[in-house]
Amino acid sequence: MAELRRILHVEDDPSIQAVTKLALEAIGGYQVLSCSSGAQALEEVEAFAPDFILLDVMMPGMDGPQTLLKLRERIDLEQIPVTFMTAKVQPSEIEHLRKLGARDVIVKPFDPMLLAEQIRSIWLAGRY
Amino acid sequence: MESPQASPASTPFSAQPRELSRLAALLRYEILDTPEESIFDDFTELAAQICDTPIALISLVDDRRQWFKSRVGLGVSETSREISFCTYTIAGDEIFEVPDTLQDPRFCNNPLVLGDPHIRFYAGTPLTSPDGYNLGTLCVIDRQPRRLSAQQRETLERLGRQVIRLFEQHLLAHRHAEQAALQQAILDSASSAVLVTRPDGVVTSVNPTAERLLGYSEQTLVGHPLTAALFRQEALQRRALLLSSELQIPVEADFSVLTAPLHRGRRDMSEWRLRHQNGNEVPVLLGVSAIHDEQEHLRGYLVNAYDLAYQEQLQLRLQQIAAQVPGMLFQFHWRADGASCFPYVSEGVEQTYGLSPGQLASSFAPIVCRVHGPDRSALLISIRKAANELTPWHSEHRVEHPRKGLIWVEARATPLQQVDGSVLWHGFVTDITARKAEQLELDKQQEMNRRLLEALSEAVVACDAEGNLTLFNEKAKQWHGADAESGSPEQWATRYQLFRADGMTPLQPEEIPLRRALHGEHVINHEMVLLSQGAPRYVLSNADPLFSSDGHPLGAVVVMHDITERKRIERLQREFISTVSHELRTPLTSITGALALICSNVMGEVPESMLELLDIAQQNSQRLGALIDDLLDMEKLHAGKMRFDMLEQPLPPLLELALRSNGSYAERHGVQLHLGACPAVSVTVDAMRVQQVLSNLLSNAAKFSPAGEQVELSAQFSDGRVRVSVRDQGPGISDEFHARVFQKFAQADSSDSRQQGGTGLGLAISKELIEHMGGQIGFESEPGRGACFWFELPAQGQAKERP
Repeated sequence: MAELRRILHVEDDPSIQAVTKLALEAIGGYQVLSCSSGAQALEEVEAFAPDFILLDVMMPGMDGPQTLLKLRERIDLEQIPVTFMTAKVQPSEIEHLRKLGARDVIVKPFDPMLLAEQIRSIWLAGRY
Repeated sequence: MESPQASPASTPFSAQPRELSRLAALLRYEILDTPEESIFDDFTELAAQICDTPIALISLVDDRRQWFKSRVGLGVSETSREISFCTYTIAGDEIFEVPDTLQDPRFCNNPLVLGDPHIRFYAGTPLTSPDGYNLGTLCVIDRQPRRLSAQQRETLERLGRQVIRLFEQHLLAHRHAEQAALQQAILDSASSAVLVTRPDGVVTSVNPTAERLLGYSEQTLVGHPLTAALFRQEALQRRALLLSSELQIPVEADFSVLTAPLHRGRRDMSEWRLRHQNGNEVPVLLGVSAIHDEQEHLRGYLVNAYDLAYQEQLQLRLQQIAAQVPGMLFQFHWRADGASCFPYVSEGVEQTYGLSPGQLASSFAPIVCRVHGPDRSALLISIRKAANELTPWHSEHRVEHPRKGLIWVEARATPLQQVDGSVLWHGFVTDITARKAEQLELDKQQEMNRRLLEALSEAVVACDAEGNLTLFNEKAKQWHGADAESGSPEQWATRYQLFRADGMTPLQPEEIPLRRALHGEHVINHEMVLLSQGAPRYVLSNADPLFSSDGHPLGAVVVMHDITERKRIERLQREFISTVSHELRTPLTSITGALALICSNVMGEVPESMLELLDIAQQNSQRLGALIDDLLDMEKLHAGKMRFDMLEQPLPPLLELALRSNGSYAERHGVQLHLGACPAVSVTVDAMRVQQVLSNLLSNAAKFSPAGEQVELSAQFSDGRVRVSVRDQGPGISDEFHARVFQKFAQADSSDSRQQGGTGLGLAISKELIEHMGGQIGFESEPGRGACFWFELPAQGQAKERP
């Protein structure tokens, strides 16, 4: 069974990028690649070969769901789960994102101390 | 008895026209069957003597018998006409004589011949009336055959003529007696007093009415000069003077005062005051007529006196009544030739026109002069119009009153067409200056009110007590695109397109503010939407019932204030807050995250000296996050964007979960959460929203409780509703804050939010959430005794109790 080591994080806000990267690297011990846009993520995804992708919903240019549709053409979402981070918490929207192929949805604002553990649970849940 | 067919006068009494007229002439004398009278007996006696017969009769022949007005020498008073001799006499024009009845075939078998009185001789002369009818006979009868001498025959005829003359006199006397009796009866029963005088004025007769009127008996007046007995000398003199000048002849101050006009062919009625026997005066209207005989000789005078006392009384009563009427009563006569006068005007004319009744006796002009110039022509036109159309007349005009100045009067009268083409009016005029002033003042006020209503930027609509719309001001017409129309309050919502504040649900009749006010309610700031003019217009309605000064319901009024613009600005504000909040959230996420990482020492040990400051920064970034969450929730609720996933579920697990998730927060405040009674009921709610409300109530309770106290969460079920209560032992809520507890950013003490760390939106949001789920929220509290916040939701009881 593969191990969760590499996480691709797509987020346009550099501060959130930094805090998330810190939280996942310092607390979870994961290797994180931060991308500032969907386009960048598509460029990097094959080279980086992530085990897990964390995708912001609201982004300028290509937004989260659009990025997901593009990613789906290049990688196997069964092998590499994609999880959204969003401030929108309406259950209908969560449902919509799942239908697009997302494994789960993490609600902003997240607790950086718990984020690594949260992602690990989602990753593990998909293994079985 | 033998039939008298052979005789020349076989049917002397048959009903021929001539015979009928004869019978009528006989009856006219009214003499048949009257008592015996000596004056007639003198003639029969005389006839018997002259003719030297034992029997003489005055016999009158009617249709079936001969009746004897007078008889000498005969016992019976009548005999049948069939056997009568006189029948033969009246058939002729002269004496009918039968010298010997036994020798005469017409009579030889007559029972009066064969039997009693054994007539052998008969001679009769017809009694012929002036108009030529033989009424009967004067006849003589003997029991021996004989003949009258020529002298005897002539005397008998002469006597017969005298008898007829006597009949004539008899008839005349009878007629006179009747006439006299009739006259007396008329006089006696006359309602007016009648005095009859000789030509020189001496009283000859007085009727009972005159006796009653004047107090004198007939005897005391008869034989006395009328004027001396009953008239005052001064009055006679005044009248004499007047007549002298009128008639251009000298008239003495005596009885001739009454008769002088008659001699000039005038039958005047004149008013007098006669002396009553008791010294009082009796007002009368006198009429005098001359009495002439057949020869046109003056025989005397008939003086008629009509009692005016009653009329004077009526006049007085009218005056008294008129004096009570505020204004003037009048009778106005408008003649066909245009002349006019007032036969009657009450004293009130002084109050209305400043004139006396006397000034109006002969002319209408003084009134016209008093009427205010500009009103004159309209007044005259209205009078003419009413006279022509004979319609009730009404006029309001101004009068230049010499004492009161310019006053308003109101006149009403009814015109009546008279036979001579003139018009008689009865009516009254009153001073309406005060009323007019009030009316003008009222008009002014109403005009003022109207202008005020039109000047308002609010729409005003009113209805009467029956629910008929009575007033729409300009704004109301504009906003509704319609004016007040008839229709019951039930139709208002559809007719005027009234909607709830959501702009979609039509108002139910019982929700319409004006209708609620009509039912006695005071409606304050009811928000609704008017859709008539395309775009929705948001209004705040304030409605109140209207009452008259004595408390009777008059209807209701609603004032609508347009808040569309305010609503638009509020929406923009909310959108702004929502946008800003969203934008704030991203940087805040980094701040919160970064602080959390630092404080967790993951990035390396934090120096002791920084810990306190970092803790402050972390707490406040969390508080800012909560505020943003609440603001966004509020906006979603307002915009109707918040979704509620309503599911029927048991209540106890919801309460237990709330207790668990808020336990640690309470512990930080040193407060214990405790679950009290909880019935096994189910509610239909969005579980997440219920948790949000419970968290809010529990955290508030924990925050405000002194350390070491308990907060109790419990529920009671009754009547299909469950009440969930959170009871704390804190300071409670001050009375002045009660009204604002559920308002946004309301906090009992502005310093509280800093100290206690609340956003000021929690309770406002909780209220909205509970109400969206069909419930109610509230609290009970007294300062110093803790507070109990509760919410109620519709619930179904469950058979099974909570394990």
